[in-house]
Amino acid sequence: MSDPLKISQSIAAAGLDAQSHRMRIIAENMANSQSTASTPGGDPYARKTIMFSNDFDEALGANVIGVEQIGTDKAPFRIERNPSHPAADANGNVKYPNVNMLVEMADMREANRSYEANLQMMKQSRAMVMSTVDLLRST
Amino acid sequence: MLEQIAPAVSGVGKASPVQGDTAIRSARPVQETGSDFGSMLAQMAGDTVDTIKSAEATSVAGIRDKASVQQVVESVMAAEQSLQTALAVRDKVVSAYMEISRMAI
Repeated sequence: MSDPLKISQSIAAAGLDAQSHRMRIIAENMANSQSTASTPGGDPYARKTIMFSNDFDEALGANVIGVEQIGTDKAPFRIERNPSHPAADANGNVKYPNVNMLVEMADMREANRSYEANLQMMKQSRAMVMSTVDLLRST
Repeated sequence: MLEQIAPAVSGVGKASPVQGDTAIRSARPVQETGSDFGSMLAQMAGDTVDTIKSAEATSVAGIRDKASVQQVVESVMAAEQSLQTALAVRDKVVSAYMEISRMAI
């Protein structure tokens, strides 16, 4: 493929894909913000992080965005005292996930904005291709 | 000129559904001999059919939950653009053909 407008559309599509993966991870973090361990003193759900990379697409002949890896946040867990909880350790402390809802909300907004930007990119490229083809039509 | 346009027009005219594929494919070997206008059009029509086929496959995969919405939209948009380009070129070729056939001798 060598049409730059088509390539830019494909790159924007890859961007949409990456941002939807990011949304998936954020949804997981939000849903599990209270998930504790099932055994006493065990580790709760650890916040997941997503890393993007600039990959070269052979078929496209251009650099696109890709998901490099999905890792876990190494921040310490939140500890609350709750001796009656099944996951409480010998001292009655329960470890809660290191998920901060405020951070997740901010990430979600950022993913949303990036998605919209990529959508706009696709729309604009499409409009440019179509208006060029329309040159043939108007007689 | 007419000999060059006529086979291309018959090929492009059949391009709309996927069934017309064989007619276009049979016109393909001509493209190796040279870069004349007719074979260029035939190749373009063949590429369009390929794009539409892949869009159909991706759409079916999307319905079966095997492809993401982004992939389906991307391939369908690519197919739509190819089809619109092919239609515009076909209209132009047909109108050129009509213009020549109206020529006063």
